[in-house]
Formats: sequence, structure tokens, C-alpha cells
Amino acid sequence: MIMHEVLIVGGGLAGLMAALSAAEKADVAVLSKLYPTRSHSGAAQGGFNAVMGEEDSVEAHIFDTVKGSDYLGDQDAIEVLCSDGPEVILELERLGVPWTRSPGGGIAQRPLGGAGFPRACFAADFSGHVVLHILYEQALRRRIKIYPEWRLIELLVEDGRVAGVLAYDLARAKTEVIRSKVVVLATGGYGRAFAKTTNAIANTGDGMAIAYRAGAVLADMEFVQFHPTTLYGTNILISEAARGEGGYLRNAGGTRFMADYAPQKMELAPRDLVSRAIFREIKEGRGYEGKYVHLDLTHLGEALVAERLPQVRDLSMRYAGVDPAVAPMPIEPAQHYSMGGVRTGVWGESSLPGLLAAGEVANVSVHGANRLGGNSLLETVVFGRRAGRRAAELAGKEPWPVLSKTTAARSLESWSSMFSGGKQIVQEDSTFLIREAATSIMTSQVGVFRVGDELADAVEKLKELKKRYKKLDPPRDAQPFNYALMEYLETGYILDLCEIIAGGALRRTESRGAHYRLDYPRRDDLNWLGHTLARRGENGPEFSSGPVKITRYQPQERGY
Amino acid sequence: MKVVLNISRFNPEVDQQRYFQEFSVSVEGHHTVLDAMLQAWRQEPGLSFRRSCRSTICGSCAVSINGTPGLACQTLIRDAAGADGRVILEPLPHFRQLKDLVVDLEPFFESLKAVLPWVVTREDYSGRMAPEVSRQLEVPATCILCGVCDAAMDAPGEAAPAALVKGLRLTLDPRDALGEHRLALMKVPPDILKLFIKNLPDRCPKGIAVQGIKL
Repeated sequence: MIMHEVLIVGGGLAGLMAALSAAEKADVAVLSKLYPTRSHSGAAQGGFNAVMGEEDSVEAHIFDTVKGSDYLGDQDAIEVLCSDGPEVILELERLGVPWTRSPGGGIAQRPLGGAGFPRACFAADFSGHVVLHILYEQALRRRIKIYPEWRLIELLVEDGRVAGVLAYDLARAKTEVIRSKVVVLATGGYGRAFAKTTNAIANTGDGMAIAYRAGAVLADMEFVQFHPTTLYGTNILISEAARGEGGYLRNAGGTRFMADYAPQKMELAPRDLVSRAIFREIKEGRGYEGKYVHLDLTHLGEALVAERLPQVRDLSMRYAGVDPAVAPMPIEPAQHYSMGGVRTGVWGESSLPGLLAAGEVANVSVHGANRLGGNSLLETVVFGRRAGRRAAELAGKEPWPVLSKTTAARSLESWSSMFSGGKQIVQEDSTFLIREAATSIMTSQVGVFRVGDELADAVEKLKELKKRYKKLDPPRDAQPFNYALMEYLETGYILDLCEIIAGGALRRTESRGAHYRLDYPRRDDLNWLGHTLARRGENGPEFSSGPVKITRYQPQERGY
Repeated sequence: MKVVLNISRFNPEVDQQRYFQEFSVSVEGHHTVLDAMLQAWRQEPGLSFRRSCRSTICGSCAVSINGTPGLACQTLIRDAAGADGRVILEPLPHFRQLKDLVVDLEPFFESLKAVLPWVVTREDYSGRMAPEVSRQLEVPATCILCGVCDAAMDAPGEAAPAALVKGLRLTLDPRDALGEHRLALMKVPPDILKLFIKNLPDRCPKGIAVQGIKL
């Protein structure tokens, strides 16, 4: 049997950062559904927020983040995020990150949305990519054991404590039980639960759903970020850096419409606000072909676009046929990020002993109801590092948890019984059809603008889809690289998460941050200044509320 | 437009040798080869190929397209399908085929280790770096480790091409204690390394041009 004191699941920024910091004191391995350098952290373009100069202050970063979160972020966690930030950026600097420099040789910073200061450290528009690869290099240096293209199947819980996992090696088409003292989830988000998303094909929320099935508490799942600027049609991300470097949003009349929605911040208002503004423009007939608006960089000059936004330029030229240095890009909002996730404390500890979580899979909660651009990359490295430290500490002082033969056997049996066959009653149904139906419902009924009867209808339809899913026979072929089987499993994860997202959105009768209810257009602090907690129940998720940690900033009206 | 994908199939559990299977798919000219492959997959869910970001940053979908290694998500159908509307897809050359278009990546990732692919930070590093030096590092740092250069070029000397890109980047990094000793570590004669640097932008899907190396 494979044993590792600390098992990190996920090889993106949070996972590798956790692995590197845990490896200082414990035996660590990383299990990842992709080779780590293929992780979706690499697609992040804009930058890492951190206070690096005297003119800016940690206090200001904290306040911007609290306000950006629409006062749903936990202020103790936000203090940690902003205070640890500068130190982690300098640590990454020593490890070899090629940050873009200011003329004096220091780390350059650019403005991103919702921030009062140019605060994002970046490497052109490859910020996530370069840091991911630098951390991977360091993982090689530290000889950290990596299980690439292995899938987490189940968290094995013994007497209420996580004692290991059941995993599946795609290349050998084999399951393995891995024992561990601590499991750190760093599996990212579920973007593919929405038909329109910037996210990679791999982002199916596996870790979130598996933690939920094991009994961990998820929080604030109804808060889904829609990125304002994705290429029309393909939904490929066009970084907020494009607006940070001075890009304009224009409607079909050529007007910079953000003046009507956020007269001070304009294009650099927070994402929730900008996405709503774009959809309003389109709804009210001021979009192009009734479908998209323009992101205009033509006034910035070719030299700046080439130097600061080379990837944005390449993506737009290839996938939209538009060179942004000479013509505006057609853009529309699409799902981008999950503010919700596995509820954790500031050291990554979840409600399940033995299970930690960090990065997008977690809800710590620094983003509350709306995340600011540049804060998620920062979150991955700050809380990845902390989760790694805590994991090593726990591994140092705790004995190996018991993993009984019956628990391991039950898990293996439930895996093989899945293939016992005879379930598929409707032959023509498929995971493809079920997934398409679910993700279309999410985009059309659980999107930027939400309303009670559509949400209730979505919840009902998702229940029906779950029933259809249960009747499917999983693909049985024992063959290597069985992507059909993966699609089947991922569809199950997505359906579980959709139910929680839609259910939470229906329950929350107010508008806050990215959750906007047309039938309840105001924020309601009296009744809803609280986290939505979701636990797995007999017949779907059971919801309750938990307090928000407020240390120094009482809720105020949020204007930009 | 209608396109026929002719895909190399091989399942080690049942097949003695590889064979080709044709898939007819309907796509727009501005769609990518990956979009077309995903349609083929819906027809035959047992078909295996790696994919993830679909925006040329993760490096998963490197395959041989009409005999030339490239990224399926970067290649538009109208460029790949000739007048006959056919696209031939095979696993990357120089890599072992494990299943259909999936190749063994272990030797590739293992080959990186030969160049000690990590910054060994100098004790006296000041924390400052001129913008133009950082820019020189940034370009090779955009390498996505897709394997296309390894598939497209015969490895010069002992180090593999993608490992050389890492090695060259580190040679340029003022933070690194090994500095120019790294050139020796790569075990590639200077004239061959020059040729490699010259050919790289054309063979690399990201068009990486290494600048500033003194040989």
C-alpha cells in the first residue's frame, strides 16, 4: 500500500506551494489529474496583488478586498492574505519568477479592478504560467513525488477522520488506496459546470464534490464569478490586465458605458459590477448583433500591447481573428471563478479532521461575494503555503490514523459495483446529453441575473438530471486513458455542485456581490450578512447559515 | 464545413498494431483541430487524447497534425484541412504511443532533470533586475513543456530540446549561482546550440526566441 504523511491533491499553484512548504518537514506527495504544469493556474494572466511600496498600504489592500467582497469576506482571513502577500512575492522572486520590472529594477505593478492602487505584480500577461513553472522546477529540486494523471476517487474516512484516499491511475486503469496522515485538497474550481466558462476542460470541481460527499462543509457556493471580458463565442479569457493597462469598454454606439455604472472606477470597477453592466447594455439593445460589446485597446499603441499583453494579443488574433492593437475585440461575460468551496479556517483546516484545503477549491473566505482581480493568485500561494505548513505540523505530531480493512474494502467494492451493469434503462441517454443539459441550465438560469422562479425551475430540472444520471451504466472498458469513464465521474461531480449552487442561490433572497436577484435587488444585511453552509443530506444538500468574521470594517454601502 | 479526421488508434490491451480510423465531423473553418477531435470523441468515447486549457497555455494536446508536431488547440481547421478536407492525426513522433494519441511523457519530463532546471539562488542577489534582463528571461519562461520541439527536432547532444530551453533561460538569470557553467552542464557544442537557438522560433508553438546567450 502507498503511504505518504502528507498527500496533496492537485498540482496547480496552491498544490505545489503546499507541497514545497510541507516538504521542509514531512514526507509529501502530489496527486494530480494532469501533469502539474498543465494545471489551470497557468492560464491566469493578470497578476498577484501585494503591497510592495511605501505609497500603498496593507490596510488599503485589506479594505479594498473587504469592500470588493461586499462585506461577506472573513476579515481575519483577509488580514492574513494581505499581510503575508509581500513576503510570499519576495519568496517567489528568489525562486526565479521573471517578474516584469519597473525602470529602477524593482517588481513592477499594474492596476486591476476594485483596487485603490496599482497593486498586481505580474510577468507580462503570463503571470500564473511563469509562477506555476517556477514552482514545478522547485518541486523537481526537492524531489517531491508526483503521481501525474491520477484521479482522486474518494476520501477515506475512519471514525470521522480522513485517513487516506482511493485514487485511480489513468495510465494503468487501476485503483490504489493511499494512506496519509493529512490530505490537502488543491483541486481548483468547477468552471465546466457552466456552458459558458473561461475554464479549462479539466475544471470539473472534483475535489469540492468529493469533499462534500465525504461530509465536509461547503460554503457560499451560490457566489459564482462571471468574468466581464471573454472572447465572444469561445469564452477564452481576456485578462483584466487589458483594462488595467488602459483598455476601454464600448457599446455599439462607441460609448464608454461604464460611466453610467461606475463613474469613478470606470472599466476598473469590480467584476460583478462590470459583468452586470455589459449584460444590461446588451439587453437594452446597445450590444453588437445583440450579443457582445467591444474591449478597445487601439489607443494604447502597438508597442505597449506587444510588451505588456502579448498573450492577449495572440489569443485574440487566433481565436477571434482580431489584432487588438488595431481593432477592438468582441467580448461577453462568462463563468470564471468560484468564490465558494470547502469551508476552511486560516490554516486550511476543513470541518473534517485530517482534511485541509487551499486555493479555489477552498472557501477561507477572502473573496466573500465577489473576488477582486489579482487576489486569487495571491490566495493560492499564501494559503497554499499555510496549508502545507499546517499539514507538516500535524504530520509531525500525530500518529498514523487507523484505516481499517473494512473501510478500504468498502470503498473498493463501491468502485467495482459501479460497473456491475444493467442500470441503463434508456439506451440513448448519455453523460454528454446530461452534462450539456445541466451546464445550459446553469448558464441560462443561474447566471449573472437570477430570479426566484427560474432558480426554482433550475433546481427541479437538476434533480431530474440526477435521476437520469443514476440510470446510466458507466463506461466499463478496462483500458488505459479511459476519458469516457472520467467524463462519467466528472458529470456526477458537476451535478452535485450545480444542485448546491442553484439551491443556495434560490435560498438567498438578496443581492450581494456576484449573486444578483432581480426579485431582490438590494443587499439585506439584517437577514443575509452570513455564509451559506451546505452539508450533504439524505435528499440533497442541507443548508444553514454561519457568521461572517468582522474585525474592523462594518458593512457600508458599496459604490465605485 | 465537413472534415474527415484520420486518427491513429492503438489500445495496448487488445491491438497488436496501430491502425487508422476515420471520423466525419462538421465544424466551422475558425474552429480548432481540438474542437474537431472533441466531436470525434462524442462519436467514439473510447478515443483517447489529452486536452485541457483549449487556449495554447497548458501544452496537453500536442499531436502530429498531417505529419507535423503541433498543438491541436492552436491549429485552426481551415489551416489543417487541405482542399480534400482531411486531417491526419498521429501521436507525437519520438514518443512512445500508449493509447491512441496519448504518448508516454515520463522520459520527456525526466529529461528536464539533466540541466538542473531550477534557480540556485546566489547569496548576494540584490533583489533588483533591469527590465530588459527580466524580459529576456520572460520569453523562454513562456515555454509550456508541450513536447513539440522534442518531437520536431533531433536532440542535439545529450540534453533534450525542452530541457535546453530551460537551461538557456537559467544561464541568463542573474539570480542563478551556476550562471554560465550551465552551458557546460548542457553538454551541447556551441555551434549546435547556435543552430538550435536559430531554429527554435519556427518549431516552437509559442515561437520562443532565446536572446542574449553569448557562445
